[in-house]
Amino acid sequence: MKKRQKSKILSRSSLMSQTKGQLKIQQMAFMLMAVTLFFVLVGMFILVFRFSKLKESATLIEERNALLLVTKLANSPEFSCGESFGSSRLNCVDADKVMKLKDNIKKYSEFWGVAGIQIRKIYPDNGNIKCTARTYENCGIIDIFSKNVNSLPPVSNFVSLCRKDSYKDEVYDKCELAILMVSSEDKE
Amino acid sequence: MRKNILRKKSGQEEMVGFALIMIIVAVILLIFLSFSLRKTEKETVESYEVNSFIQSFLQYTTDCRDNLEYLSIQKLIFDCYDKDKCIDERETCDVLNSTLKDILNESWKVEGDRPIKGYKLKIIIDESEEMLIIKKGNVTKNSKGATEPFSRAGKDYEIFFNAYY
Repeated sequence: MKKRQKSKILSRSSLMSQTKGQLKIQQMAFMLMAVTLFFVLVGMFILVFRFSKLKESATLIEERNALLLVTKLANSPEFSCGESFGSSRLNCVDADKVMKLKDNIKKYSEFWGVAGIQIRKIYPDNGNIKCTARTYENCGIIDIFSKNVNSLPPVSNFVSLCRKDSYKDEVYDKCELAILMVSSEDKE
Repeated sequence: MRKNILRKKSGQEEMVGFALIMIIVAVILLIFLSFSLRKTEKETVESYEVNSFIQSFLQYTTDCRDNLEYLSIQKLIFDCYDKDKCIDERETCDVLNSTLKDILNESWKVEGDRPIKGYKLKIIIDESEEMLIIKKGNVTKNSKGATEPFSRAGKDYEIFFNAYY
């Protein structure tokens, strides 16, 4: 009798400890699932956040490109004075060259990868008179090109805008102060 | 009774552990968010602007003429130091002063709510002699400045320009 009772008690306690173990395993499994789910959700949140910022960073890259371009554009072969006005000069834009470039801009519109390039005289200030072959000497703005897209406020840099002028049949170099403006496309 | 207390204790420990994990993850997330939300602010004045401003205005052709040509600002600085006159008898120093004032007025507008609060332009000879100084607006804590040195006939000229914003 006693033996039977003992074995019954033993089997009961082993059953109890088995169910306890199972419960612990279940608890652990749930915990692991919850933690995994949590990290998956966090990952998804980060991904969504990143993708939503993609357009913004594209615009930022465009803006940075414009900023870098404006610092070196005046000294590029398409714009620079070279040695047309004596020795070579820094930040000097050849106005005659730029006017010719403006006339053939179709070949160059994709060359710089920006939305627009403009040169505006600031001293002397000739207002908003656009530069053409007629108004060339007393104009205020050389609109080199502007694409028909949404563009950001332009970044600018000071340049010296030089050209050949004449006084009493004598040709001389005339340099004026201008700003070179480069605008980038707004991708947002 | 003891078993109950022990069970309660281990349950509490697990909860504390879980809460700790949550707090650590939240802190990591917050740090990540603060990094990704930080925007690169655009400067009011860029260093290259003041640098190129000096280089550009030095090339400006003034209306002062000597026997050969119309003088640039750079040549006018040399002539001003030599106390020369323009062909129309104006003092080169007066022309230099007025032209630079006009150029600065047009290029760096400081009136009203403009981002630029003031500027200062100095021309120094041989590191000590102050040839010209033009100031306008307020001197603030934020500024961008540049210098442009050049020389002629053994004299060292240096132009200092500061824009305050």
